[in-house]
Amino acid sequence: MMVETHLRHVATMLLESAIRIAPPDTREWGQAMRGELSYVEGHWAALMWAFGGASVMAKHALISILIPSRRGGISPGDELFAKHVSLGKAALVAAVVCIVAALVFFGAPPFRQAFRVAMQPWTFMFQMASRNFQPGFDALAKRAEEQHDPEGLAFCAVRLERPGESARLAEEAVHLDPNLIWVYAVVGMRHLELPQTGQWMARLEQWDPRNSLFHLIEAESIERSHLRHGVWTPPTRDQEQAWLTAMAAAFDSPRFDDYLDRVAELTRKVVPRYGFYDPYEVQSREQLDLPVDTLESSVRFAKSLLRSGEDLEAKGDHKSARGKYWRVARFGQIVDSQGRTGFEHLIGTSLQALAYRQLEASSEKEGKQSEAALFAYLAAKFDPFTGEHPGFPGESAFGLETARRNAAVVQISGLMILVFSGLLVIAAAILIAGGSARRRARPAAQRARPVATMVLLSSGAGLLFSSVTLYLTYRPYWYIFQSAIQNGGRSQARDLFFFLNDTKIPPGVSPRVDLLLHSLLYSGSPSFLFYVWAGVTLLGVIGLVIILLRHFRGRPSAGGLQNHPRVP
Amino acid sequence: MKTPRISPETLRVLESFLRHPTDWHYGYELSRETKLKSGTLYPILMRLEKYKLLEARWVATQEGVPPRHTYRLTPNGYELARTQMEEARPRAMVRQPAFCSG
Repeated sequence: MMVETHLRHVATMLLESAIRIAPPDTREWGQAMRGELSYVEGHWAALMWAFGGASVMAKHALISILIPSRRGGISPGDELFAKHVSLGKAALVAAVVCIVAALVFFGAPPFRQAFRVAMQPWTFMFQMASRNFQPGFDALAKRAEEQHDPEGLAFCAVRLERPGESARLAEEAVHLDPNLIWVYAVVGMRHLELPQTGQWMARLEQWDPRNSLFHLIEAESIERSHLRHGVWTPPTRDQEQAWLTAMAAAFDSPRFDDYLDRVAELTRKVVPRYGFYDPYEVQSREQLDLPVDTLESSVRFAKSLLRSGEDLEAKGDHKSARGKYWRVARFGQIVDSQGRTGFEHLIGTSLQALAYRQLEASSEKEGKQSEAALFAYLAAKFDPFTGEHPGFPGESAFGLETARRNAAVVQISGLMILVFSGLLVIAAAILIAGGSARRRARPAAQRARPVATMVLLSSGAGLLFSSVTLYLTYRPYWYIFQSAIQNGGRSQARDLFFFLNDTKIPPGVSPRVDLLLHSLLYSGSPSFLFYVWAGVTLLGVIGLVIILLRHFRGRPSAGGLQNHPRVP
Repeated sequence: MKTPRISPETLRVLESFLRHPTDWHYGYELSRETKLKSGTLYPILMRLEKYKLLEARWVATQEGVPPRHTYRLTPNGYELARTQMEEARPRAMVRQPAFCSG
């Protein structure tokens, strides 16, 4: 009973609220519906009555806002008795306003980039099918070659994933401009299997003799040569010796430069020159990819140095042992202070922590307690997980969760833009067909007009809403990207990296499932993911067509007078 | 004079008025007779009244209850309703709804 009383109360409040927002000339009609509400039998029926009345008032309020000339009421004309005329026209005007406003967004570069990012999972599927993951670089490299632009060629060389093409472009760039010789180091780091590596490193050692990077690349290249066609073969004595020599030279070098500053400088010059604003290629591959493999071997060499130091200590040669520990600490310090990526800092701090722990133990054995305390402090300070210098510097302002959420919002907004655009095309086609059918008196097409108008309005509003959401969500990442391109700004680079990484995964797919799909893609059918999504889309379209057909078949004819045979 | 286009719902309302052309009708009563919801019925009544085909007045009822709006066809409205119903009758007999079998 209480609930029913509340229902009538809600109905009254709803109608009275609607009357308040209605234009003055229609309020009397609102009062008329309010007057009848007391006589409507049944509480639910009363609520439905109020809903109907409120919709009439809301419609007039909307018309008066969108078409001010209609404020005076309904204009005379041939459409005097047509039920949907006023709302239909208002809806059309509103839909057109929404569509135009949404299209204006496409004029803004951040929005265009945001839309490309939103389409990335689907673009990735097509790239997967064609097995070309960097189609933009083919065209860019061709233009750079035509223009004999060494910087353009170097830009492509340092980013291309195909080793042969990358090496060819690097050699062409250095041939045109010998000052770009450092490109060999970056390409060598990315493609350790290249046969030219040894020759390149020899040239680089002459050009920049104090840099440890070339020795590290050389060592890693020797290590890779043990792995042929997925089978590991034990190194020969000569190979082992060559590896040790290269590593020793790296640990004795006073500098560590991975040339990422030069890569960033190159990016700043080339991207605006060619208008190559692809955040995936320009930004995300610059930060983490490069020296990972190269530096991993240095940890193995450092541990062997520390072990040999322990052996010397056991033999009582504390001085030589300490020399080995300090060698590791010094190399870690160089990599930590001169490296630019998170991984470099992680390796640098890890090596320092390992060395200081050994020095602490050595001092304790010698009874030098104050020295041991100092080394303990340093070991704790450089511990990559608990120390003052975390391995990955705190460049992430938003955090992983925010990046994931924003990536999902961007992807869904992009998808909705496509869906609403499709609905707009269908609705517009129905309206155009209905307009021409009106003259030929085809009732089916005419009946579809109100539905099509509503679809047009809701899709237009949806398109605008999705566009605004996409723009606002992506805008911070656009500024991070622009800052990196224009000023070489690295602040929040990790936020952009996390965000771009998450946008590669289709919405609703967890990273773990994505890995599974990737493994299927690489080991099984190359188009698996493409077929899954194509199937889902096709089923959706078939469902929509069935719903529309059922709607138009099931709806009573305009000649509904058949139901009223008692017309006098 | 140009004959305005009439929607099936409007014809239902006119048909209801023609049953007792001189009587005053309440909105809820018309809604029950025509089976039209308030959101459909009232825009039709508003248009008919706007073009002087319908007259409306307020009727006070019991105290504490809002007055009621009642409606009756004007002479012009009556003529138009009769003409429209005469025209609609033969059309209704020959037209078949699209997509309907049989």
